Amino acid sequence: MNTEPLVPQGLLLLTPASTRLIAGTLALAYLAAQLPWPDGVTWLLPDFTLAVLLYWSIHAPHRAGLGLAMALGLLADITQGSLIGHHALTYTLSAFAALSLRRRLENFQVGGCALHLAPIFFGQQLLFLLLGLAFHLPGVDWRFLAAGVATALFWVPVARLLDRLTGWTSEMHIEPADSRPSARPVGSAGHGWRGHR
Amino acid sequence: MAHAPMFARTMGLPARLALYCLASLALMVVDSRYAAMATVKNTAAELVNPIQDILARPFGYLGKAGDFFIVHGQVLGENRRLILASQVFASRLQGYEALKLENARLRALLDLRPPSGVETRAAEIVRILPDPFNRRVIVDKGATDGVTAGRPVVDAAGLVGQVTQVYSTSSQVSLLTAKEQAAPVQNQRNGLRLIVSGTGSNDQLEVRYLDMHADLKPGDILVTSGIDGVYPLGIPVARVVRVEPPRQTPFARVICQPIGAIGQHRHVLILNRPEAAK
Repeated sequence: MNTEPLVPQGLLLLTPASTRLIAGTLALAYLAAQLPWPDGVTWLLPDFTLAVLLYWSIHAPHRAGLGLAMALGLLADITQGSLIGHHALTYTLSAFAALSLRRRLENFQVGGCALHLAPIFFGQQLLFLLLGLAFHLPGVDWRFLAAGVATALFWVPVARLLDRLTGWTSEMHIEPADSRPSARPVGSAGHGWRGHR
Repeated sequence: MAHAPMFARTMGLPARLALYCLASLALMVVDSRYAAMATVKNTAAELVNPIQDILARPFGYLGKAGDFFIVHGQVLGENRRLILASQVFASRLQGYEALKLENARLRALLDLRPPSGVETRAAEIVRILPDPFNRRVIVDKGATDGVTAGRPVVDAAGLVGQVTQVYSTSSQVSLLTAKEQAAPVQNQRNGLRLIVSGTGSNDQLEVRYLDMHADLKPGDILVTSGIDGVYPLGIPVARVVRVEPPRQTPFARVICQPIGAIGQHRHVLILNRPEAAK
């Protein structure tokens, strides 16, 4: 059974992401992938949709969960002509990994988050290629592993931009009340809360 | 006891993950084993293609705007070159017409079926699919233009690939260099029949499982043999680069270079079989 409380707690309560923003950024990322990229760079192209999806999985887990990941994966499968379910499976697993890392990532800046997420992005690409091998697709191009690293790098500007849009800052970290009694009170002066936009 | 629920009674995260993973895997198996998904895929592609067209349009305009500012001298030079080339072709065609007549007469004498004519249709490559497993491009001619699946695709120099999927206004071309693509060819020098396959790289083709005594030398030109009923006779396919002698296997391997400029052009020709010839 799920132990998530009914009402969002902590940071999620302070900076709720609007559904419109989530949908808008995901649509933009999806459209970016549909641009006519030249042939030489397709293996180096970051997975825009996955990067934005994982951002929202971390910052708005109630909205962007496994279901959304699977839906976006199916959309990617249909557009790219891959096996139906191929992207869906890897996206769902990546979203699960991000959701399980979420509590930990709240303590890190964007760079630290990117380092945590890099194995997920790389693993997603590796799993994608291995699944292709398992399903006897002809000829694997291992250069596409570079796309996993590229996605991790791409995640940094995306996260910065979306942090700006949602008003989420790492200074809004809430100290657990009992572990460090001397910790500064939440919202102390000198740390500009930006709270709601 | 009528308590308000403290916690949401939903399925746990791992349970949902397992469910979604199973569903995805099932879909993959169905898609790879059965043709059931083909209609779903086709419908979806019809829906998505217009979006991709709209997105590609500004880039097309940019390219055209770039063409507008081309230098006058460049146009003149190109024009001069093209006039020369067309004269060369015209002189070659004179001989060709005579040969064609003679060939028809000889075929009639031998009571052979006339070879089916081929009509060409120019198409523009609009998109390259970012797929690590396959080398495919999307061209802007589809079922409404009379394109059917299986038709060969060529450029000015040689074979490029084959139409593998047709949508209403666009179609998917699998490039000759894709690993699962193969073309039956003939050595132009001595008529030796072979099968050339892709290697997954843009500038390399190979002949697998070649007899170690086969007469094949670097520089030989391989043209389609026309015996598979897909590729018409005589399209240049590849030039032999080197012959690797057998190592630990009873077969030699030949590395060739494709003659068609695969991955370098924007326009290709789709060879359509005219309806009357069927």
